[in-house]
Amino acid sequence: MNRQHVPHALGVAIVTFFVAFPFVYTGGNYDYIMHICIVGFFYAILASSWSMLAGYAGQFSFGHMAFMGVGAYTTALFCHYFFISPEPTGICTEFALGGNYLIIKNPIGVTSTTLTQDCLAQAMEKWDGAVAITRMPVWLGVIFGSLVGGVFGLLIGLLVLRLRAAYLALFTLGFSEILRATISAEIQITRGQAGIELPSLFENGITIAGHVFSKTDKIPPYFVMFFLLLGCLVILYWLSRSRFGLFVRALREDQDAAAALGVNTTRYKVLVFVITSMMAALAGAVQAHYVTIITPNNLMILQMSLVVAMAVIAGVENFVAAAIGAILIEFTLEMLRTSFTIGDVTIDMTLWRLVFFGVVLMLTLRFARNGLLATLIDYFRRGHVAAETVARHKERGPSDSVPSEAGRQGAPS
Amino acid sequence: MIELAVSRLNKRFGGNHVLKNVSFEVKGAEMIGLIGPNGAGKTTLTNVLDGAVKPNSGTVYLNGKRIDQLPSFEVAKTGLGRTFQVTRSFRRMTVLENLYVPALALGKSHSGDEVRQQAMEVLEFFTMEHLRNEYARALSGGQQKLLELGRLLMLDPDIIILDEPFAGVHPKMMEVIYEYIRRVNERGKAMIIISHQMDSIFALCERLLVLDYGDLIADDVPEAVKNDPVVIEAYLGATEDRSGTGQNDAAGTT
Repeated sequence: MNRQHVPHALGVAIVTFFVAFPFVYTGGNYDYIMHICIVGFFYAILASSWSMLAGYAGQFSFGHMAFMGVGAYTTALFCHYFFISPEPTGICTEFALGGNYLIIKNPIGVTSTTLTQDCLAQAMEKWDGAVAITRMPVWLGVIFGSLVGGVFGLLIGLLVLRLRAAYLALFTLGFSEILRATISAEIQITRGQAGIELPSLFENGITIAGHVFSKTDKIPPYFVMFFLLLGCLVILYWLSRSRFGLFVRALREDQDAAAALGVNTTRYKVLVFVITSMMAALAGAVQAHYVTIITPNNLMILQMSLVVAMAVIAGVENFVAAAIGAILIEFTLEMLRTSFTIGDVTIDMTLWRLVFFGVVLMLTLRFARNGLLATLIDYFRRGHVAAETVARHKERGPSDSVPSEAGRQGAPS
Repeated sequence: MIELAVSRLNKRFGGNHVLKNVSFEVKGAEMIGLIGPNGAGKTTLTNVLDGAVKPNSGTVYLNGKRIDQLPSFEVAKTGLGRTFQVTRSFRRMTVLENLYVPALALGKSHSGDEVRQQAMEVLEFFTMEHLRNEYARALSGGQQKLLELGRLLMLDPDIIILDEPFAGVHPKMMEVIYEYIRRVNERGKAMIIISHQMDSIFALCERLLVLDYGDLIADDVPEAVKNDPVVIEAYLGATEDRSGTGQNDAAGTT
């Protein structure tokens, strides 16, 4: 096997491993391990899409977690406030929809649910079980979440067109904090710090190939998140291999030079924001339905730093490296939770693990700027280039002389 | 036939009137030198022609199409390509990828061998095909300049503006670049070359434009420009004793 093919073979092996894992893993803490995997996939989607934005396109945005939050809150609010009922309530905002009614609940915030009831709860009390209302399907909320994430991506992309490097980072940091503060402040609608609850991904359980999974089973969300990750990676791969990938990298290297060579830099800069923020929003929406609650703290800058660190440690200029790195780092961080005692000193690893993580980040930035995994992948994929250059150079002679007019071949038009 | 018509261009940066009613025409595959002291407006003129900077007034027509209000990428597609004073290769992309960018921007298909074939021909033209998979940052300064020229060949414009093609290169590499410029011109490209290398400019060009603080003070064959008292006063006389050393023209860039 050629050395260049090693990364592909490893990729197939890793995918096979994760497909088989839920069925072959027999160690302890099954649900806990599965949970770490699901969260790992979630971070992998964020890290790999962020690597497309920051590593490929050079748009070092700190707003990625905010887009994740836009997706999560969109589906949360959608599932929280919108219902379908066969009968009109008479007190809620409602629209006729075919033979049914689209009910929009009134926001009541977190103030004592025993005394104040929303309009739908009042109506249901009145109906006393005679009318069956229907929740909105989770998948519809997830799609809305992703679309609204894309709209936000478009707006931010347009606003940051002229901003570069540090200014872009500051702008997106500001956007991210404003969004978090707004969600925290709008207690009436978003329930503020209390967070908003969502229905589970498969609220009524799901039957696959004759096997019934309850809503708390880990296998369905595991595969939902895993295939979402694979889907995102396939899209990112396709993008990176198409003219889109070439143009956004040219944009990263030199925006003016790219424009002077005919690249519509505005279009690609906005497009890369839209696509990556849709991915982040999609991951956020699914994750919110998996953990069934979303709070403003999920949008904290610490969470963003985690995604940045995962991508940078693994290799920000390679989205596959970023994805694998995110899963590995999520696992390592969880494994490092176990505290231990030396003599009479107890090391509280729940706190110290982050220090360890920070040190790895700093060492990576200092000694392996391209990241640990990406460097490894490059060794396999580009290792032959230098040798090839030397061989061809010997064959051809030095390049700093002009070949004679007659000896020249292949004249460009 | 290639036709560039520049008419009464004005550009101000604050109180600095960088281009004053500049008008000239290019017809056919001319080889034109653009000279002038630092701060004369040479780079600003390039930026206005290429769409990077919008003029305050005046018009530019390329082959009958008005281009002075178009964004850079549209101007590039219309048929005007330029290099930059400081080499701006895409450093963390391979040599081939550098060449693919303009070809794909023109809408050529990514798959298929046509673009690759064209890129390999360009690399063979510059005898650089052995470097095709190296990152551009691994290239020498001179090779990067050739790569920039190569990217322009992939863009295949009618008019090429070279901003300081000889700046900061070894005399031997300068000869190489000189020779390639001549050969590109022979393929029917009009060229405007900005340089302080008077020997090269006088040898290469059949026509010289002289800018002095935003005024186009001369537009003639090299012999006539050389003996023009106004030009000698403004530029040539002053550079006599430091010919070949002036390489930077930072003024008037965006």
